Amino acid sequence: MNSVFKGRQLLWVYGLMIPGLLVFLLFGIVPTAASLVISLTDYLGIPGVPVHFVGLANYVTLFINNLPSMKQSVEDTLMFAGGVTVFQNLIGLGLAYVLSKRFPGVGFFRTLVFLPAVLGVTIIGLTWSLLLSPSGGPGASLLGLFGTSSAFFGSNTWALPLVIFVQIWANLGFTTVVYIAGMNTVPRDFLEAAKIDGLTEWASFWRITFPLIAPALTVNLTLAAAGSLRTYDIIYVLTDGVHNTNTLGMYMFNTAFQGSGNLGLGAAIGIIQFVLTVIVVLALQRYLTRREEAMS
Amino acid sequence: MGIAKKLSPIAALALSGSVLAAWGPATMAASHHAAGTSNKTLKIIMWVNPPAVAAVNKIDAAFQKKYGVKVQLETAANDQAGYGALQQTAVQGGTADIMAIEPFDPMPYKQNTTTLSSVQEWAEHGVFAPLNGQSYLSHFSKTDLGAAAYKGKDYGLVTGVYQTGLFYNKAIFAKYHLAVPSTYNQFVQLSKKLKSHGVTPVWTGIGNGATFYLEFAMFPLMLDQLPQYSVSSALASGKLKWTNPAMITTFAHERAFFSNDVEKNFAGQNWQQMPGDFAAGKAAMLLDGSWDLPSVLKANPHMKIGFFPFPGSNKAANNQPVANPDLTWTVLNNSKNKGLAEKWLAFFASKPEYSQYVSMTGISPSEMGSYHNQDATIMGKWFGVGRVIQQSPNFLVASGPNYLQPTNFWSEQLNMVQGQVSPKALAKVYQSAQQQALK
Repeated sequence: MNSVFKGRQLLWVYGLMIPGLLVFLLFGIVPTAASLVISLTDYLGIPGVPVHFVGLANYVTLFINNLPSMKQSVEDTLMFAGGVTVFQNLIGLGLAYVLSKRFPGVGFFRTLVFLPAVLGVTIIGLTWSLLLSPSGGPGASLLGLFGTSSAFFGSNTWALPLVIFVQIWANLGFTTVVYIAGMNTVPRDFLEAAKIDGLTEWASFWRITFPLIAPALTVNLTLAAAGSLRTYDIIYVLTDGVHNTNTLGMYMFNTAFQGSGNLGLGAAIGIIQFVLTVIVVLALQRYLTRREEAMS
Repeated sequence: MGIAKKLSPIAALALSGSVLAAWGPATMAASHHAAGTSNKTLKIIMWVNPPAVAAVNKIDAAFQKKYGVKVQLETAANDQAGYGALQQTAVQGGTADIMAIEPFDPMPYKQNTTTLSSVQEWAEHGVFAPLNGQSYLSHFSKTDLGAAAYKGKDYGLVTGVYQTGLFYNKAIFAKYHLAVPSTYNQFVQLSKKLKSHGVTPVWTGIGNGATFYLEFAMFPLMLDQLPQYSVSSALASGKLKWTNPAMITTFAHERAFFSNDVEKNFAGQNWQQMPGDFAAGKAAMLLDGSWDLPSVLKANPHMKIGFFPFPGSNKAANNQPVANPDLTWTVLNNSKNKGLAEKWLAFFASKPEYSQYVSMTGISPSEMGSYHNQDATIMGKWFGVGRVIQQSPNFLVASGPNYLQPTNFWSEQLNMVQGQVSPKALAKVYQSAQQQALK
């Protein structure tokens, strides 16, 4: 491959990349490497207490002594991530299709959809805890009209779907914006030609728009999967990890910072979560990139 | 492991900083005031107990006025959710001088890094400065101080004891001519009568991170069923089996209680809202700790309230409240203001300030002398009385077998209470985990 830049220009290019690379190294690579090292120790985070190398003991604890917790946690993580990734993209795609059209008030609706994306996790958690409070919340009143009730985030049946719903609600704006941007790149004359040829709106979307927004789909699916596989914050605020919501992120947080303060064990859970995320995201990206190539 | 390679503590601290930077998005509900450390700023951290936070703010204001120094109070969630992360930061980063803890005694049956809780690790490794020799300690109950003592050193100033039990609305009891029950069967009858009048018997809330509040029913049922044991230690040591018929009866009664007597959907009710819900008259009784009584009275100052211990046994003499030594002040060894921190503790323990604290929080005082608060009036003969069991009992193992880890222990118990697991099956999984822990 011939480089566009040569000689001094190339030096400039590399020079300009250095600050960004340093930031990535300091806040991306170093913490990950540090977590890997810590996962091989009995580090407790207590100043002055010697740290011992324990080899794979933390991993043995997780996969042998605590296998049921680990298994449950991986299941909860995959359920959560799967639910969020699929539904966030389906709903985002639908909304983007509607909001990419021109109609009065479209700007207002776009803002409305994006609004939750700027709210903090604690605010989102508090809002939904109040809306879905079993006594006197609007959700309870609504169910009351049908003569039923629910513990919402305290229900074994509903806690996980509701946490998935809140996570989607919080991130839907970003997904929708990416799809709208993708749809805006679809040449108008393609769609007009399809209309002249008598294609229905659905056929036009499925055969023309959807293949042409493949890059947007790749970005959205990858970001949703990677983001949801490492989520713990919204779960912490809404359920504290009970009722089948003890994802790997929650398990790590509780182990490292709540129960024993066992940072070595917590780091080992973090590394397992990292490996799981890398496997899922790489597989997803490989599939989506091939799909993109096939479409083009 | 055979090869015990020691890493330099400095490198370890650097690593922990990196890990915290990677893991720690600022999501905990902390009220953080101005940052910055100076020799004249005393930093205190505690969990959110609204009356206690209000009392400490008043004491801080008086301390600032008297000594001309700034006191900065930082709070986070409750002692089981959120506050742990704030404590970790304080211990590792030296970001606090005084730290509130839950007392850590008794230590686990087997002591190692997976069985000790954070606070117990800190006591073991000298994170807390010993308070021995401070004159105010002699005014405090030795038994209460013992809950935060380790190997002959007093590491904490135990500020008092809270009790859990049933608070009742006297107006509702009077309206239906109901008597205070003293046995389990009497309680069941009382509950039936209330329901026949369309009144919800008991209100409680375990949602938003308080699943462990199931202990408000489990502990008295367990202690009252087995008064001959120091139950918590007996379970931890394997002397008493979880599959003992009395334990299965305990779980069966607990399940019956939550199914029949407590408001529907209690599992989703926010624990912070239950004092307000009771004050609003949503139920005849409130299953809670005495720390919430000031909040009930704040929400409804005219409410007439009574108290009785949860009657776990059919022998009235067995039934007593459960007592927990509660908020305990420690001075951190890595504090830059240790002298000032010790001065603050002495100031806190002084008669006027401690009286104010007792009065505002409703706590049963650990300092000897004559004190008064509304809790004492309401709880009458039960005030300050009860069997002691820690909120984190020693049969739980922080990073131990699955069902003895605190989150999973209470989660599975909630499944039992909600009917997804039988009392027998619950006892069996607990016992299996216990055997694993004892190996």
